[in-house]
Amino acid sequence: MLTVSTFTRGLRNGLRITWELGVVIVPVYIAVTILKYTPALNWIAELMKPVMHIVGLPGEASLPLVLGAFLNIYAAIGAVLPLAMNTKEITIIAAMLLLAHSLPLEGIVSKKSGAKVSTLIITRLISAFGAGLLFNYFL
Amino acid sequence: MSYLDIFIEAVSGSLTGVFQIALIVIPLMVFIEIIQDLNLLEKLTAILAPFTNLVGISPEGRLPIMAGLIFGISYGSGIIINSARQGKLTYRDIYLINLFLVICHAVLEDTILIAAIGAKWFPVLMVRFFLAVIICYVVARLMPVPLAEKSESSL
Repeated sequence: MLTVSTFTRGLRNGLRITWELGVVIVPVYIAVTILKYTPALNWIAELMKPVMHIVGLPGEASLPLVLGAFLNIYAAIGAVLPLAMNTKEITIIAAMLLLAHSLPLEGIVSKKSGAKVSTLIITRLISAFGAGLLFNYFL
Repeated sequence: MSYLDIFIEAVSGSLTGVFQIALIVIPLMVFIEIIQDLNLLEKLTAILAPFTNLVGISPEGRLPIMAGLIFGISYGSGIIINSARQGKLTYRDIYLINLFLVICHAVLEDTILIAAIGAKWFPVLMVRFFLAVIICYVVARLMPVPLAEKSESSL
């Protein structure tokens, strides 16, 4: 049944999540913006270019992919935003990130429910790469 | 470009990003509470029947899958743990539900988030869903069905 508490709970959860993602997105965004004005981002971009090129992404997009895989989607978004990618690139990286994010945390969750985690994580990484190839080809 | 300009760009850009996401996440969380309080979750599980039958997951597996699809993987796992304790799910069920959910979960929040940053959300959602179905189907063929389940399905 819907009561006032349905809405207050939703509001409270929404604010809590906004806070949780804010404390991740803001520092990551600031760090990547600063990185943009140093040679470091170019080094990373040049280094990762050959790999990222296969899925149609610029080299510096490796940064949000790694942040997303190890931390979470919010950290990845914090790193995607300052990089100014086009719609195709954002769609590719979004697909890859949604398939492979928060791997340590979600791995623990799967483990708790009793499933073998290693094959799950490998499946996610392969799917993410496959989706990247697919979108690069068809978009 | 001075250090101050870089700092202002970073702070204003990041706060704008968080604000845009807040505009989406807060109404979404209210919506999710509404789904929960109207007990829509159990009613929605029926639409998963073709999938669970195709793959060979017990009907009890539909609730954790629907919970994971809507609320996210932690919530879905909570229900899996509960159902598993009650002996309603086999290891095969548990593995396949987890396999489905790690590929495709929290579809409302994730999809809206990527739409907010400018991605084409619909193809991404479709790829996620169909990858989960196809991979589950293939892995399910490779996993032996426990005896108890076989006798149940032959009834």
